[in-house]
Amino acid sequence: MTSPQPLIQMQNVDKYFGNFQALKKINLSVSKGERIVVCGPSGSGKSTMIRCINRLEKHNGGTIIIDGIELTDDLKDLNAVRREVGMVFQSFNLFPHMTIMNNLMLAQKLVRKTPKAEAREVAMHYLERVKIPEQAEKYPIQLSGGQQQRVAIARALCMKPEVILFDEPTSALDPEMINEVLEVMVDLARDGMTMICVTHEMGFARSVADRVIFMDAGEIVEEAEPETFFNAPKNDRTKLFLSQILSH
Amino acid sequence: MEVLSGWWDDFFWGSVVVAQVFLASLVLMVIFGLIGAAAKLSDSRFAQKIANGYTIVFRGTPEILVILLLYFGSAITLTAIAQLFNPEIKFLDVPPFWAGTIAIALIVGSYATETFRGAFLGVKPGSIEAAQALGMSTLQVFVYVRVPEMWRLALPAFGNHMLSLIKDTALISIIGLNETLFVAKQAIGTTGKPFTMYIVVGLIYLGFSTVITLTVMGLERYGHRHMRAAT
Amino acid sequence: MSFDLPLIAEALPKMLMGIGLTFQLLVLSAILGLALAIGVMLMRISGKWYLSWLAQVYIYVFRGTPILVQIFIVYYGFPQLDFIREGFLWPIFRDPFGCAIVALTLNTGAYVSEILRGGVLGVDRGVLEAGEALGLSKSQRFIYLTTPIASRLALPAYGNDIISLLKSTALASTITLADMTGIARTIVAQTYAPYEIFISLAIVYMIVTFFLQKLLGRVERYLGRYTIREG
Repeated sequence: MTSPQPLIQMQNVDKYFGNFQALKKINLSVSKGERIVVCGPSGSGKSTMIRCINRLEKHNGGTIIIDGIELTDDLKDLNAVRREVGMVFQSFNLFPHMTIMNNLMLAQKLVRKTPKAEAREVAMHYLERVKIPEQAEKYPIQLSGGQQQRVAIARALCMKPEVILFDEPTSALDPEMINEVLEVMVDLARDGMTMICVTHEMGFARSVADRVIFMDAGEIVEEAEPETFFNAPKNDRTKLFLSQILSH
Repeated sequence: MEVLSGWWDDFFWGSVVVAQVFLASLVLMVIFGLIGAAAKLSDSRFAQKIANGYTIVFRGTPEILVILLLYFGSAITLTAIAQLFNPEIKFLDVPPFWAGTIAIALIVGSYATETFRGAFLGVKPGSIEAAQALGMSTLQVFVYVRVPEMWRLALPAFGNHMLSLIKDTALISIIGLNETLFVAKQAIGTTGKPFTMYIVVGLIYLGFSTVITLTVMGLERYGHRHMRAAT
Repeated sequence: MSFDLPLIAEALPKMLMGIGLTFQLLVLSAILGLALAIGVMLMRISGKWYLSWLAQVYIYVFRGTPILVQIFIVYYGFPQLDFIREGFLWPIFRDPFGCAIVALTLNTGAYVSEILRGGVLGVDRGVLEAGEALGLSKSQRFIYLTTPIASRLALPAYGNDIISLLKSTALASTITLADMTGIARTIVAQTYAPYEIFISLAIVYMIVTFFLQKLLGRVERYLGRYTIREG
């Protein structure tokens, strides 16, 4: 199957918070199956950019087209887009009052209208995939941070999205839990999932990414394959950032 | 509005009584609250028990019962004592002003006990330890670090306690204190306009509540000045 | 002075005859007040300035004036107004029980709506965003995420308001209702034994408070079952 157009296309996207311009003329296109890593200093707009892709933030200028649907205020289109775009947050954001199983079933039932039994099956399938099927009846607070984040990934997968956005998925985790989450993400990448990943895990970027994007002050400063990006960065800001982040 | 002419100064003096009761009960409420909190935080099991009993009783009993009990109870005791000396005396009471003031101060003081206790415990040990590490004495730590921080933590709840006090003054009319609600009753007796008169009372109390709320808001802004980002 | 135990034994059953009325006042105004509070809270967070403004005025007025004044306005004040006397709600306002319910409901509704709003605002934004990202509609997020989480957050404060409401029902005795307090006041007027009657009644109220708190504690534990790490 060849797609005539990229899965995600951002053209000249601007985003303002009051007078502050968080995104400046962002152009980005992501094809099906691509794995993109976005990095940059804090406040550079990387989270804002991926949050615009499922409209958690509304962009103020330019166009964003997801799988042929342009993001506007049209609710019907928005729901269609959100079904296709999964998201994993820095702070997991599991529903605290529901068991793990219900966390995974809720949106399937309400949004996909999946029958209960089938939803449960799907949920169990993905829990096995992230290697914690035995936690199904527990509440989020009873799990470690790493386990919670794996549940959050499973929850996104249950919706069978075309693409998953990761917003710093490992930065809220204790060091010893980072790997268990990265392993799941690497696994997903191997299976051909389209991923856009905001992260500072440069090892992950090197081994998995098709492209690395560096953002600073609301702009995409550099965009390259990992090999080139890490070994021969062109822009001075990229060099400075890499020297700071890789020096320790 | 015509029906109100001739009653304005009565309502004014009624309002003065409300303000007086409020101020007197405020002082007592703070004292009761501080004593209660100190007792709850003390090492003495006995003091803790007494303080717990105090908060349970006054938070679980209707305000009106406390007021009635304090007023009629003290009256009966006073009369009995007075009759020992002079059997002619038929009735002697504690003025409703003081019976009522003490009653509402005891009630709201039981809530303030928890507020003060919570504020004391809410001060972060880090700042206390830092002050001790700098060589400040226990008293200095208390005055310069703990009290200002406690004050900031307690203020929102304390504002609510003040609102409770001002509103509870209305209950004292039941034992005959000549505050605004009492004035309204008299005015209704001659004018036959209950709605008008009680609305006036409501507006007076709304005015008092507004003044208290604005004051607390101002104090809160002052107390939080170090928490605002530089502009 | 002595404590007249036989008098208590005689008066207590009489006072307890009023407990049914006390509970009717409590339960009815708690339910109606909660329904009102939900409506007012939704107005307050609706984002429509006129709805929010209206809700705020209501809350401001009913929290800023004494409940006793509110009861008097409804019971003594409303009959002064022709449109009330000729309106279809007159059967309610003619009856002291109806008036007590109306006043208690309006009063508790104002407090509870703010408590509920606090709960709704306390829901973690990230959790709602996660729901949004999964494609849940605004109303689905409100029903499945905001409501259960906010209920748990609001419950402790709501419990306190229920206790306050119980205490406020005692004020129904000021508009001729024979609830427990009303009966007690009649007995005191006849026997002139305020200590015996009022103290034993206070104990009854404390027992009711105690059981209410137990019940609320149970609901709290149930709603908060997902906040305990060991499971």
